[in-house]
Amino acid sequence: MNTTPFRAGLVLGLGASLVQAYFKVIPPLAYGVCMVCHPKDLFNWTADHLFSLDWGYSVASTNWPLLTVIGVLAGALVASARHGELSLRPARQPLFFFFNGFLMINFGLILGSCPIRIVLLSAYGDWTSIIGWICVVVGVVITSLIVRWNARRTMKLEAAS
Amino acid sequence: MSAAIATLVLGFVIGYLGQRSRLCFISGYRDFLLTRDSTLLKGVAGAFLGAVGGFILFHFLGGSVPGFPLFFFAPPDLDSGLFITVVAGLAVGAVGVLAGGCPFRMHVLAAEGRKSYWYYLLGFYAGLVFYNIVNVRLLEVIGK
Repeated sequence: MNTTPFRAGLVLGLGASLVQAYFKVIPPLAYGVCMVCHPKDLFNWTADHLFSLDWGYSVASTNWPLLTVIGVLAGALVASARHGELSLRPARQPLFFFFNGFLMINFGLILGSCPIRIVLLSAYGDWTSIIGWICVVVGVVITSLIVRWNARRTMKLEAAS
Repeated sequence: MSAAIATLVLGFVIGYLGQRSRLCFISGYRDFLLTRDSTLLKGVAGAFLGAVGGFILFHFLGGSVPGFPLFFFAPPDLDSGLFITVVAGLAVGAVGVLAGGCPFRMHVLAAEGRKSYWYYLLGFYAGLVFYNIVNVRLLEVIGK
């Protein structure tokens, strides 16, 4: 059976609701998968326990941190190794990627969710998240159009010169 | 402990499926806008439908799904933090396009051995330290 994005998304959505319903990944609501909040919980929980920094984490992570990010890295590593896609490829524009990561986690945590959890929260019926999801899509649309316009302009300038 | 193990297992499954399917919650919108390719957008739709179906199913099976669906119980709160939500939402979309995908996709690409995305993760976790030291206090002042 092919692994299509639709099927992968379906498993993600079902899995997120399952871990909330039966494995105490709550509160907050719709917290089954989040790729900014779960790394924050793991990082802050570890920092708190090692260095007593008093950095906050969610109630769901009180006793043990949520390990989603470790699982994602391990799952992707195993999948790429099994299918011959695991290879070290050199870095391009490292500073650019560094700042993108830096900005993404900061804006994600200010928003209170990553692009996955905002879908889960919207599915839960949270009005604020539905507005946030619309804003994420608008941000994608505006930036994509600017990037395309800039690429076309550069091509025209290069062709003219 | 059960939450930690459950999220580890779920993370492994979605990491595996995400690597095989190129699932991304930013590229789906971008690809559809620029090339009318809806393949990745169907992943977002799948997650939404899966979550709605799961919440309904587990709600009726007696699982812990309090206050579902929220729009019946909590009216839209248009005062507290709405401006911040709008600005942060726009910024998450913009940064996602510039980076080439959502944080989930970036973690998957880093696990494939692409070193560019190792730098992304380095910035990601350095940003987390910055958030804890600076932004938490800023947000307290703003009152979110």
